[in-house]
Amino acid sequence: MLRLVFRRLLALAPLLFIVSVLTFSFTSLLPSDPVDLIIGDTGTQEQHEMVRERLGLNQPIVVRYVQWLGRAVRGDLGNSFFNSVSVTGAVMQRLPVTLSLTAVSALIAIIVGIAAGVAAALRPRSWIDRLATVGATIGQAIPNFWFGLLLVAIFAVNLRWFPATGFTPISVSPWDWLRSVTLPAVALGLSSSAAIARQVRSAMVGVLQQDYIRAARAQGLSARRVILKHALTNAMVPVVAVLSFQITVLLGGALIVEQVFAINGLGTLAITAVRQQDIPMIQGLVLVMVGLVVIVQLATDVIYGFLNPKARPS
Amino acid sequence: MTARATDSGATRSRRPRWLAGGSFVIVAVAAAVLALLLFLAIFADLVSPYDPLTQNLMDSLQGSSAAHWLGTDDLGRDVLSRLIYGCRIAVIAAAEATTIALLIGVPIGLFIGYRGGWWDWIVMRVVEAIVSIPGIMVAIVILALLGTGLHKAMIALGILFSTSFLRLARGVVLAEREEVYVRSARVIGASDSRILLRHILPNIAPPLIVQTTLTVGAVLLAEAGLSFIGLGVQPPDASWGTMLSTAAAYMDLHPFLAIPPGIAIILTVLSVNLIGDVIRDGIGRGITVAARHDTPVARFEAASAVEPSAAALPPLRPDEVLRVEGLQVTVASQDGTGVPLITDLSLSIAKGETLGLVGESGSGKTLTGLAILGLTSVALRTTHGSIMLNGRDLRSLSQREIQHVRGNEVAMVFQDPTTSLNPAFTVGSQIAEVLRAKKGLSKKEAWERTVALIDRVGIPRPEERARAFPHELSGGMAQRIAIARALSCNPSLLIADEPTTALDVTVQQEILDLFRDLQAEFGMAILFVTHDLAVAADICDRISVMYAGEMVEMAEVGRLFARPRHPYTRGLLTAMPHASDRNPPLPTIRGNVPRPGTWPAGCRFSNRCDFRIAACERRIPLTGTNRLVRCIRAEELSLEAAQ
Repeated sequence: MLRLVFRRLLALAPLLFIVSVLTFSFTSLLPSDPVDLIIGDTGTQEQHEMVRERLGLNQPIVVRYVQWLGRAVRGDLGNSFFNSVSVTGAVMQRLPVTLSLTAVSALIAIIVGIAAGVAAALRPRSWIDRLATVGATIGQAIPNFWFGLLLVAIFAVNLRWFPATGFTPISVSPWDWLRSVTLPAVALGLSSSAAIARQVRSAMVGVLQQDYIRAARAQGLSARRVILKHALTNAMVPVVAVLSFQITVLLGGALIVEQVFAINGLGTLAITAVRQQDIPMIQGLVLVMVGLVVIVQLATDVIYGFLNPKARPS
Repeated sequence: MTARATDSGATRSRRPRWLAGGSFVIVAVAAAVLALLLFLAIFADLVSPYDPLTQNLMDSLQGSSAAHWLGTDDLGRDVLSRLIYGCRIAVIAAAEATTIALLIGVPIGLFIGYRGGWWDWIVMRVVEAIVSIPGIMVAIVILALLGTGLHKAMIALGILFSTSFLRLARGVVLAEREEVYVRSARVIGASDSRILLRHILPNIAPPLIVQTTLTVGAVLLAEAGLSFIGLGVQPPDASWGTMLSTAAAYMDLHPFLAIPPGIAIILTVLSVNLIGDVIRDGIGRGITVAARHDTPVARFEAASAVEPSAAALPPLRPDEVLRVEGLQVTVASQDGTGVPLITDLSLSIAKGETLGLVGESGSGKTLTGLAILGLTSVALRTTHGSIMLNGRDLRSLSQREIQHVRGNEVAMVFQDPTTSLNPAFTVGSQIAEVLRAKKGLSKKEAWERTVALIDRVGIPRPEERARAFPHELSGGMAQRIAIARALSCNPSLLIADEPTTALDVTVQQEILDLFRDLQAEFGMAILFVTHDLAVAADICDRISVMYAGEMVEMAEVGRLFARPRHPYTRGLLTAMPHASDRNPPLPTIRGNVPRPGTWPAGCRFSNRCDFRIAACERRIPLTGTNRLVRCIRAEELSLEAAQ
């Protein structure tokens, strides 16, 4: 298993590099001069030169990239153009928020998706299959932030079961954390549940027709064991293969859903950075996001290898 | 309704069809929604009752009224009018982003697909990088460069979604290029690029249309999201996303504000997706747009029972393990009537005996084995007869009871060992699992017993092999494992369904020897299903010949081979290859086994039989006592096996 992790890590490392080059060069194309943005048009020539010098903008782009990368590798993503706070600090402060939201919504999406997909696959064309299929079709058409608003109206404003806004860190109070993360996670997980349910259903229908399922039943194993162990393990192989994509989608969706619940996560940071054209912040955010995606991919690759022995290096 | 709908009504389906597949009602509604959207977008100025930007602070946050059907927002603007103008934004957004995505993605995809080499490598790495970042983050980075606003947001989305068009176009070119290389090797003349172009256009159009519908749906959702977080359409302009952004601020005061734009987005995206599904299905199938329904029919016409041949029931024996009488298995057909697959099947097997079930594919022999276990697929039912295993009728047992019988009293070995073992688990764990579930052994006991079993079926280094996955074993080895699993609980009956057919010839004999050895040791009865007479002759004590769902002859092996009594058996024996004379072409039985539902009313072999007479048109019973045969001319015809 360690060899698999190492191998995948080697394969994923270039991705991080390419993304860093892309982001860095792309953001350097910025039409407006960041120095103008910072000190405004009123500053003197000397002031401009000073700021330019301080930001290192007077050096060629390749040099700036290498310097930036060198610091990034050591965990220093530079400082914001505007308030000089450290990008690493700002990102790390909000990362647990967005991660909580993404992780809980991924959990919900996986559980709901598998349950609905399996239920539908066990009785193809039954009412439960139709319900799941129609539900999945509609679920994929509902914007997550709108579903979030709906949940707020019902469960926060009307029933007062959950707070309408805000986020409590898990270290402060696990119970309040759960209460604060539930509605946004449900809102965020809806469309991924639908997508996963569709995939589980089609994979499960195929697996249930396999010889080994019939052989397991011929051996007198209980239906429950045959479905949940023998069939589901195999049906999850194609599902896990696309799971990292779904989690990437959730990570992006979290940026928007955070706004519905006034949660101060990476989304707020990113939106502010875009409005201010705060380049170091955007570069740092993208790099951290890709880092997360790489970790998720690594994890799903390992699970994939676990479920599908043929994929393991021997 | 359309003619098709009337047709489907005629096929006696009681289930409402509007939910199934791409039904016309759904497609019609989806198309109507999109038509309405387009209409409102074009004629927004004429249709909307108010100007979408006119404020009236005296009338803010009003509910539905005659003046304002959908109420007013925080600034007293008419929600309905803003919704209608939002349609225009949605159409512009979808058209703009999708067009940009197409214009960027397709040419680049075609180019790198055609050029290959470095261009291809670099562009694909960039695409991979973009795809690995959450889409909304990509859009945010691009917007950081361009600034905010509807058109800029759509350029960002266009760039984002161009990656899927790019990959699609590249894929089509690569596939076609392979073709062209093959072709141009023979036909010298037109340049690659010209040939390529001529083949790409027809091939790329269908997937491109599908991808476009997918993109339109995704763009609509993404535009609403970007406008919602304030990076797309800017206030005070009315778009569904900005309307929701306003609504978000008033969820406690006036939650209704969120409903109209939300419903508008959902209906639009749903309609686009549904139309996309129908187009994809249509392209997948060729031309038809409507999905076909093959509804399973749960009803079985019980009337078509075939009279059991009472005289031919096997004589009762004291050491009998399995006794099947008058078995009939039926499949549900399209029109709701049952089509029999097996009729009037009776057989018995004694302890330590091997009964061969022989016949061509489609004769129902495998199905017999599955029917005994009660494992036929959903559309199949055992409608008549009894299956007595160790004195108990399996057909009368509950699910729970028969589950206990399976594995403990009867087990099955399947044709292809590589597919009958679960690829996700080690072979040892699959045997140990059975021992733990059926015999209640502890983990350790089960594992020890497993290793012993693997050793017993003749696999060297059993401890090590037990930890192997099915794909790491050869076919013969895997089949030994499957046999070990089947015998793990010491069943009194083993059903072997063509257990040597999928194996290499040299391995076949070893597996047959293993069956013989294990039978001598454990004493189980074996029902050996095979199409191979040589294999049957090798391992069976008695052989039942099946044809078109019924038994046509049953005899001890020696007597069957020496003097077949049914013309079909003789045909089979004649068609058997012999090692001694390889040169003359093998005689074959003319024609094919008739499919279930097309069986002749009388003797089912009559349309292929050389000895057919008028009397064969009647139903023929199985006759005899120890030797059974289903042929009215069996006495007068003296058939010898052709050597």
